Amino acid sequence: MPEFRTEEMLLNMGPQHPSTHGVIRFVVKTDGEVMSCAVPDVGYLHRSIEKISEQATYNGFMPWTDRVDYLAAMNCNVAYAMAVEKLAGIEIEKRGEYLRVISMELNRIVSHLLSVGSVGMDVGAYTPFIHALRDREKANDLIEELCGQRLTYNYARIGGVSFDMPVGWQAKVLAYLEDLELLMDEFNRLITGNKIFIKRLANVGVITPEDAIAYNLVGPNLRGSGIKYDLRKDEPYSVYPELDFEVPVGRGEMGTLGDCYDRFVVRIREMDQSISILRQCFAKIPAGEHLVKVPKKIRPPVGDVYIRTESTRGDMGVYLVSDGSDKPYRVKFRTGSFTAMSIVEKASRGLMVADLIAFIANLDIVAPEIDR
Amino acid sequence: MTVTEYFTNIKDTATSIFEGMTITLSHLVRKPVTIQYPDRTPRPVKETLPDRFRGFLKVDMEICTACLACMNDCPIDCIKIVTKKDEALKERVLTQFDIDEAKCMYCGLCTEPCPTGAIHFTKEFEGATEDLSSLLFSFVPENQVIIPYKALKKEKEETVNA
Amino acid sequence: MQQLADKLIQHCALLQGLPHELTYLLVEIVFGSLMLMLFVAPFAGIISWVERRVAARMMDRIGPNRVGPQGFLQWLADGVKSLLKEDIVPSSADSFLFRLAPYLVFAGMFMAFVSIPFTSRVIIADLNVGIFYIIAVTSLVVIGILMSGWASNNKFSLLGGMRSAAQIISYEIPAGLAILVVVLMSGSLSLQEIIKAQGAHPWNWFIFDNPFSFCSFFILFISSLAEGNRTPFDIPEAESELVSGYSTEYSGMRFVFFYFEEWANLYLIAAVGVTLFFGGWQIPPSVREWAVGVHFVLPHILEFATFFIKAMSLVFVIIWIRWTLPRLRVDQLMAMCWQYLIPLGFVMVLGTATWIVLFPQGVPLVRYVLFSGTLGLFGYFFYRVVFHLRYTKAELQFNPFV
Repeated sequence: MPEFRTEEMLLNMGPQHPSTHGVIRFVVKTDGEVMSCAVPDVGYLHRSIEKISEQATYNGFMPWTDRVDYLAAMNCNVAYAMAVEKLAGIEIEKRGEYLRVISMELNRIVSHLLSVGSVGMDVGAYTPFIHALRDREKANDLIEELCGQRLTYNYARIGGVSFDMPVGWQAKVLAYLEDLELLMDEFNRLITGNKIFIKRLANVGVITPEDAIAYNLVGPNLRGSGIKYDLRKDEPYSVYPELDFEVPVGRGEMGTLGDCYDRFVVRIREMDQSISILRQCFAKIPAGEHLVKVPKKIRPPVGDVYIRTESTRGDMGVYLVSDGSDKPYRVKFRTGSFTAMSIVEKASRGLMVADLIAFIANLDIVAPEIDR
Repeated sequence: MTVTEYFTNIKDTATSIFEGMTITLSHLVRKPVTIQYPDRTPRPVKETLPDRFRGFLKVDMEICTACLACMNDCPIDCIKIVTKKDEALKERVLTQFDIDEAKCMYCGLCTEPCPTGAIHFTKEFEGATEDLSSLLFSFVPENQVIIPYKALKKEKEETVNA
Repeated sequence: MQQLADKLIQHCALLQGLPHELTYLLVEIVFGSLMLMLFVAPFAGIISWVERRVAARMMDRIGPNRVGPQGFLQWLADGVKSLLKEDIVPSSADSFLFRLAPYLVFAGMFMAFVSIPFTSRVIIADLNVGIFYIIAVTSLVVIGILMSGWASNNKFSLLGGMRSAAQIISYEIPAGLAILVVVLMSGSLSLQEIIKAQGAHPWNWFIFDNPFSFCSFFILFISSLAEGNRTPFDIPEAESELVSGYSTEYSGMRFVFFYFEEWANLYLIAAVGVTLFFGGWQIPPSVREWAVGVHFVLPHILEFATFFIKAMSLVFVIIWIRWTLPRLRVDQLMAMCWQYLIPLGFVMVLGTATWIVLFPQGVPLVRYVLFSGTLGLFGYFFYRVVFHLRYTKAELQFNPFV
C-alpha cells in the first residue's frame, strides 16, 4: 500500500496575530494541527534605538533605553547607566544603588506578573490574566509615584537615580507586597495548580539543559531548564552581594525538565524572591544622596566597556564605545528575547499549533527587545 | 497509563476545577478595582495623580531665564526657544518658546536642569486631538517679546556686593 | 398545541373553511415564530449582557455600564451596530457557501427549540422522539461551522472548522450515552414524558436516582459544553490561537448570527440538562392544587418560573466555567472524549440498566444520600469561597449593580 501523503500547509502567524506578543511573524509549516516547524521572522519592530544613541548625549539617551524593553525599563536604564559610569569612572552612593535595586525588583514583579498572566490568557484562561494585570496596576501606581511614569520610567541617571523615595512610599510598597503575596497564593490556586493548565504546559516545548546553553538562552528560560545561573549571584553587581535570595530553577515537577511549566513556575518563584529582596532593601537602605554630582556634559575617556545585568528576561548586556566626545560612538544591547527566538525553530518541531502559542508566551519575549 | 493514574487524573481535574470555581465565585462579591473613567470617578482622575506625574509640559514665563538648558537637554528637540537682542530695551528677549507636545516623550530631562523650575510638568494628560498642530504650545504670544527673569543674577550680584 | 388549534377552529369562523392540516401548520408557524421572536432572540441578547457582567465581576471589573441602566441595553446597541455594518464577503471566498453557513448554524439551533418544553402545556411540538430530534438537528450546526471554515478561504478558519467538526462529532457519543441513561429510566424519548417521570422534589429528580445517573449528568454537561463550543472546549474559535476560528472572516450581521447561536445555545444546553436530570417544570402537587384554585394560568407561570430558574442556574454555571478554566488542546480534547467520557458513559448505561433490573422501584435511601451528599458538597464549596475572601482580605461588594 502506498504511503498516504498529505500536503503541508504554510500558515503565516503574525505579524498581526493576537498572541504573538508584539509584531513578530512566525512561518508555520503545519500538517493539520501538528507543525513540522515554526520559523520566527523578526525585525518588524526595528526602531534603530542603537543608531539613535550615536546622536544623543550620554544623558539624553536614557529615555531611549526605556524603549528597548518596555516591560522592564528600569533594568535597561540601570544597565545603560552602569555602563556609562564604569567607562567614565563615576562612583555612585549606596542609597542610589539601593534605590536602583528597589526599582529594578519592583519592575521585575511588574514584568513577571504580565508574563505569567499572558501565559494563562494564551491557553484560554482570561480571569487569571486580568487578576495579574490588576496586581500589576497597583505596582505601576507605586512606580508612578516614585518616578512619574507607568511604563517608560526613565528613572536611573548617570550617577544614581532621578528622585529619592517620596514620603510614605516605603510603607505603601511594603503593604502592597503583603497583599501581593496573598493574591499570588490565590493566583496559584486558580491557575498554577489547575489540571488543565498543567496538561497544557507540561511536556510542551521542552528545552534540554544542553540546548538551553547551546542556544544561549538566559534568564528564567535558562533557569527553567534546570541551570542555576543568575548574574545577580554569579557576577554580582550593584548591592546584590549584600542581599540574601535564592535562585529558583526548574525541576521538571509536572513533566520533563525544561518544559513550559518549569519556566512558568520559575517566574512565579522569582516574584517571591523579588518580594524578599525588596523587604531586605527597605530594611538596609542607608541615608545619603540618591544622585551624585556628575559633570553636565559627560565625556568618558576613549575606550569601550561591556556591562551585564540580570534583567527580567535574563542577561541584558550593554556594550558601550566612547570616542571621547559627549555622544556615544556605539551602544549595543544584548537582549534575552533575541536569543530566545533562535530556539523556537528547534523546540517547535512536532508541537501543535496551540502549543506554539503557549510556548511563545512562555518564552516571555518582548518584540521591541528582539529588534531594538 | 495505569488504572491508578487514570482515576488520579479524573480526581485531580475535578478538585482543581472545584478550587478554581470557588475562587472565581468569591470574586463575584468583591469590590471591582476598576474606576469608571472619565465621568463617574469619585474624584477627577487628575487629582488622584502623584506629584511627580509627567503630564503636559508647561512653562511659567514669569520666571523663565532663557538659559536654553531645557532646549539643549531635550533628547528629541521638541522645545524651540528663540531669543534676540532687543534694540529698544537694550537686552536679550524671548521671541519664541514653543513646545511640541506631540513630539515630547515625557522623559523629564528638561525639567531637571531648569534653574528656576519654570518648565514643569502638569497633571494634564488627556491629549487626544484630531489635529497634531493643536499640540504645539507657544508660551510667547505671537509678535510679542518677553523679558527673561533675572532675579538669580541680581541676587548673585547682591551677594557679591554684600 | 393541537388542542389550541382545535379550539381556534371551533371559535373562529374563518378557519373552519380551511383544511385542518393547514390550520395546524399556520398555528405552528405563528406560535413558533412568536416564541422565537419573543423569547429566544431577546434571551440570546440579554444573556450576552449577563455573561459580560458576570465575567467582569469575576475579573474585578465592572463590565458594560453605559448603554441604558447598568448597561442593560448594550445588547441592543451591539445588535444595531452590527446591522449597520458593511457585510463583507472576501473576494477569494466561496461566496455562496460563505453566505449560507450562518443560516445553517442559525437554523440548526432554532429547530432544536421546537421541542424544548416551557411548561406542562407550552411546547411548540411535543415530539415522541423529542430528545432524539434535538440531537439530530443540533448536528446541523457543525455543517454550518465546517462550511464557514471552508468557504472563508482562510487557513485559520479552516483549522477552526476542522477542529469543530472533529469535536462536535466526537462529543455526540458521550452525550448520546448520557441521554440513553435517562431514556432507560423514563422509558420515553419525549421530553414531556421524561419530565413527567420525575418528581418535583430534588430527591425525585433523575440526577439523584442512582449513582450512575448522577455521573451521567456530568458526562452530558461536559459533552454539551463541547458541542456548544464553550470554554474549556472553545478550540474552534480559540482567539489566542486561531484569531477567531471559523468566524474570522465574517462581519456585520453574519458574524452576529454565529454569536447569536452561541448564546441561544446556552439556553438549549441548560434546558436539555434541566429536562433530563433536574425535573424540568415539575412543581409539587400541593402547590399546583393551590395555584389552580387561584387562577388557571398561575400553575403555568409557576412551572415556567421553575424551569427558567433551573435553566438559568445552569446557564450561570456554564458562564462561570468559561471564566475560570483554560482551554484544552485539540488532542487532549479528543483524549478526554475517547479515553474518559465514552468508556465512563458505557459504564453508566450498563450500570443504570443493571440498577433498574435490580431495583425497579428505585432505592429511596440512595436518593436521599446522593441529595444530601450534593448539599454537603455545596456547603464545602461555600466554605471555600468564604475562605478565599478571608484569606485575601478582600473588600466586599454584594450589590451586583455597581
